[in-house]
Amino acid sequence: MLENYLPVLIFLVVGVGLGVGLMFVGFVISPKKPDSEKLSTYECGFEAFEDSRVTFNIRYYLVAILFILFDLEIAFMFPWAVVMGKLGWFGLISMTIFLGILVIGFIYEWKKGALEWE
Amino acid sequence: MFTQILFYGYAAILLISAILVVSARNTIHSALFLVLAFFTCAVIWILLRAEFLAIVLVLVYVGAVMVLFLFVVMMLNVNLEPLREGFVRNLPVGILVALIVAAEMFLVLSTKGFKLAEQSELALVDATGYSNTKAIGAVLYTDYLYAFEIAAVVLVLAMVTAIVLTMKKSVNTKRQNPGHQVRVKRKDRIRLIKMDSEPVNRKTGDTKSDDAEKGDVK
Amino acid sequence: MIHALVTAQSVIAAPANDYGLALPEIIMLSAICAILIIDLFVSQNKRIITYLLTQATLIGLAIYTIHYILHISTATEYTFNDSFIRDFKGDVLKIAIYIICFLVFLYSKDYLRERRLFKGEYFVIGLFGVLGMMIMVSAASMLILYLGLEVMSLSLYAMVAFNRKSSVASEAAMKYFVLGAIASGMLLYGISIIYGVTGHIGIGEISSYLGELAKSKTTMPLSLVFGLVFILIGIAFKLGAVPFHMWVPDIYHGAPTSVTLYIGTITKIAAFAMVVRLLVDGLGPMHKEWTQILVVLSLLSLAVGNIVAIAQTNIKRMLAYSTISHIGFLLLGFIAANENGYSASMFYVITYAIIAAAAFGLIILFSRKGFESDNLNDFKGLNERHPWYAFMMLIVMFSLAGVPPTVGFFAKLHVLQALIKADIGLTWLAIVAVSFAIIGAFYYIRVIKLMYFDKPVTEDNTPITAGADMHIVLSVNCLLALGLGLFPGALIYLCSLVFTPAV
Repeated sequence: MLENYLPVLIFLVVGVGLGVGLMFVGFVISPKKPDSEKLSTYECGFEAFEDSRVTFNIRYYLVAILFILFDLEIAFMFPWAVVMGKLGWFGLISMTIFLGILVIGFIYEWKKGALEWE
Repeated sequence: MFTQILFYGYAAILLISAILVVSARNTIHSALFLVLAFFTCAVIWILLRAEFLAIVLVLVYVGAVMVLFLFVVMMLNVNLEPLREGFVRNLPVGILVALIVAAEMFLVLSTKGFKLAEQSELALVDATGYSNTKAIGAVLYTDYLYAFEIAAVVLVLAMVTAIVLTMKKSVNTKRQNPGHQVRVKRKDRIRLIKMDSEPVNRKTGDTKSDDAEKGDVK
Repeated sequence: MIHALVTAQSVIAAPANDYGLALPEIIMLSAICAILIIDLFVSQNKRIITYLLTQATLIGLAIYTIHYILHISTATEYTFNDSFIRDFKGDVLKIAIYIICFLVFLYSKDYLRERRLFKGEYFVIGLFGVLGMMIMVSAASMLILYLGLEVMSLSLYAMVAFNRKSSVASEAAMKYFVLGAIASGMLLYGISIIYGVTGHIGIGEISSYLGELAKSKTTMPLSLVFGLVFILIGIAFKLGAVPFHMWVPDIYHGAPTSVTLYIGTITKIAAFAMVVRLLVDGLGPMHKEWTQILVVLSLLSLAVGNIVAIAQTNIKRMLAYSTISHIGFLLLGFIAANENGYSASMFYVITYAIIAAAAFGLIILFSRKGFESDNLNDFKGLNERHPWYAFMMLIVMFSLAGVPPTVGFFAKLHVLQALIKADIGLTWLAIVAVSFAIIGAFYYIRVIKLMYFDKPVTEDNTPITAGADMHIVLSVNCLLALGLGLFPGALIYLCSLVFTPAV
């Protein structure tokens, strides 16, 4: 069964190998003549004003949280989809209730305007 | 044999990246090492034939939780230097605690008390057509129905609390409502008014009456 | 078995569940969904509709459950593949939760309104918390117990942080969240070890497995004890027993008083249910092991709770330490490790929840917009301003201290009696508990002294701004501390009945 994952493994090895290899080649054969001016920060001729990391708006947080919740919902649907044929009506109904509860939450967040960016 | 080599290789990557999560100076780097740790962990789970859990780990943790971590790191913009000050001082205590926990876990695991491995041959089943995902699906929506529906309750609760605690409605923002824009009728925008024509001053083109103008001049 | 299920090509049969047993949970969930949606379409000045629907749900469920135990059945039944249990003690605990939650929301109404917190979500999240408690109370599987605990805890974290403008509340919520998450982690770790060793997740199955093991061996294997310790740490965190109590004062102090009222009352009943399900129903055969640890927890809780409470100047903090000491008393009943002790603990926790609801209700009553009335000095000379409520406070304080003839006295008496009668050589523990209760009486009586013998700090004659419903219900609630003390028979009988093994 694990043999099925061999292509993935080869893909991973090739991907990592290629990335590391090219960086290594660049590191080895590139000309290196560092001086202090080259290594200093350059921002339109000024010293850098502030940290390059800007604080994000808190609104991203809500979007990310809602994304996680629906992502989890999807995760619950995978095994269901795989065995749906065998579960029959009972499985369909239990999934409908699950989704129904989440749809209530979805209506709530829609009506509250949590999905709008303003 | 080959899988064993793979296991040790990935376990080494997992441990190194986990240590780097804690020791990296840059928070973003820690978060990225955490992604690596999750991903390697998923690979190890696949080696254990727990494919569904591995996929969930990648999908939910790498895909969503890490996005949230990065957002939080960006939002807070914490300067970590002051947090690190006690690092060296607390290190011996931390190592001691870690060693005790490790020793205790070793004690527990070595008492050959764990029944699970004997009870289910699942971990070793290699029959054709066997699928971990199917096995979970077969019980999750029937035998564990109650727990499954409670999971939905937890998700909705999290949704409601997240909205209550973080959503701010600012009154000042001006925004477009495409629905209103589409539904607008001609009469909402243009008003035709019937009025009598007024005499026009030839010189200025002004519609004001002559009397008023004269008055102004005076 | 799972393997067989998967390879078989036939359709997986639908499990034979009896959904009627879980009707209260189903009704509660439907009501929550309905209220959540209805609240969206209600304008702010008609928000009272949400409140009334919430209260109607609670009362309806209380009436249904009372009807169920009186006329339908008090038998123990299982459903959902043995992960849901409906039994007599669960139903009684649920009724207590519904009624006290009703009181909690009733007292909170005006408080929330004055602070612009009167939002529909407050009640919805509160009901979610109650749903979590219901799931815990009727959990017959460790998995379900944990899920119920998480539903409850998530609601509590959100409620503590509900007042977003208050930085104290946000800090308290943060602490609560982090420590609560650690506690959940500990509990889950313990559960997973027990699951790993026994191979069962159902509470009944674990109990019978351990029973078999106890017959064949004199000592339990180390791995089981290890799991038990982690479970106990989780329980101690959730109960707020020393040395896992550090969150209690901060959260009681920092949260809005209406939320403190919620946390200080019904969650204690849910925590009691959790201990009963985990330790008594599940790990009962290991009672030799867990009573030892509970003795330490109880002793420390009694000592720290009663002594540190003396140093407090804020009444919410003082009541937080008082809770810790009451948890110490509650654990004494479990240490007795017999039906007698469990029923005494159940009587203790229900009466404590009622009295605590009255105590926090009174603090809410005296507060008003911009004034929390949570300092001990605010109670100085209360008798001159509001003699009736000073008297009510007197009853409540006496009851918390355990002065006869209030109900607090009987609760303590029964727990101690059960402990001594169990005859396990812990009479010394009962004596220590009594002496700490006497030390504890000091700070309750200090409140009474402040109310009756001190002059008010400020000339403050603002009348109480509560509605008639609150006046009446709160007075009845306070008098109940006296009434249950004079006639404790019925409740004691009920509590002993639910723990009597079915014949």
